[in-house]
Amino acid sequence: MTMSWFAYTLMVFILLTAVTTALFRDVLSAIVVFGAYSLGMAIFYTFLLAPDVAMTEAAIGAGVTTILLLLTIARTTRPSTDRLFERVHWPGVVAVGAFAIVLLWTVLPEMVAVGAEDAPVWANADVTQYYIQHTYDDTGVQNAVTAVLAAYRGFDTFGEAVVVFAAGVAVLIVLKREVFA
Amino acid sequence: MIDPAVGLDEFFVASAALFVVLAIMMFYRAIAGPTTQDRLLAVNVLGTNTVVILALLAAGLGEPWFLDVALIYALLNFLMAVAISKFTVERGGVL
Repeated sequence: MTMSWFAYTLMVFILLTAVTTALFRDVLSAIVVFGAYSLGMAIFYTFLLAPDVAMTEAAIGAGVTTILLLLTIARTTRPSTDRLFERVHWPGVVAVGAFAIVLLWTVLPEMVAVGAEDAPVWANADVTQYYIQHTYDDTGVQNAVTAVLAAYRGFDTFGEAVVVFAAGVAVLIVLKREVFA
Repeated sequence: MIDPAVGLDEFFVASAALFVVLAIMMFYRAIAGPTTQDRLLAVNVLGTNTVVILALLAAGLGEPWFLDVALIYALLNFLMAVAISKFTVERGGVL
């Protein structure tokens, strides 16, 4: 009971920040308000028992995104503002809202409940059981998720790291500046 | 007196929900402004609020490692204020 009320108030906060971020005409204010959105999302991830995702959201949302966006508006022009909020195109809002409601209406009832007996993950129960039973003997890592990410599919993760590194190098080339010198 | 039937965990989560209501009220300042500095200060206060909410959740859900997230937020909340202050003073010198 208390849990669901906490979730509902948090959802109201997140929706409010997201809509305000989209509607602000002044980009600097939008960046600041986007920081508040990131705060709400971090609390929500924590509430859903995913503190690792919340830590990433804290580092990326509050730290990196703000600085990257500030660098972007430093390189471009900041439009002068005559009014505070963007004009809302209501027919578009209605159309997109109806589309989203139809999507949720069709998709959400098909989703399997958390911990359900007939969840698709149990269709390959042998595979799931293998990782649960043998992870520590195979890799010496206590957390099964970490073991799958860093050991069983280690080359895949390495490839992802290479992609992220290449993207970082590309950003530095575009900025034409030694930011960490 | 706290009613033992309600439980201390529920009490902590309910307090966290009240802090979220406070966050929504504080967000009024972030919308109204009038300057970007007002908004920055409002979001900074929201960040401190977030640390409190995360700590209450850690106590209420009985997961002490949530405090790590709260600590990271307490550290990083500062970063955005510094970056935007530097940006407004030096006009583009962010890093």
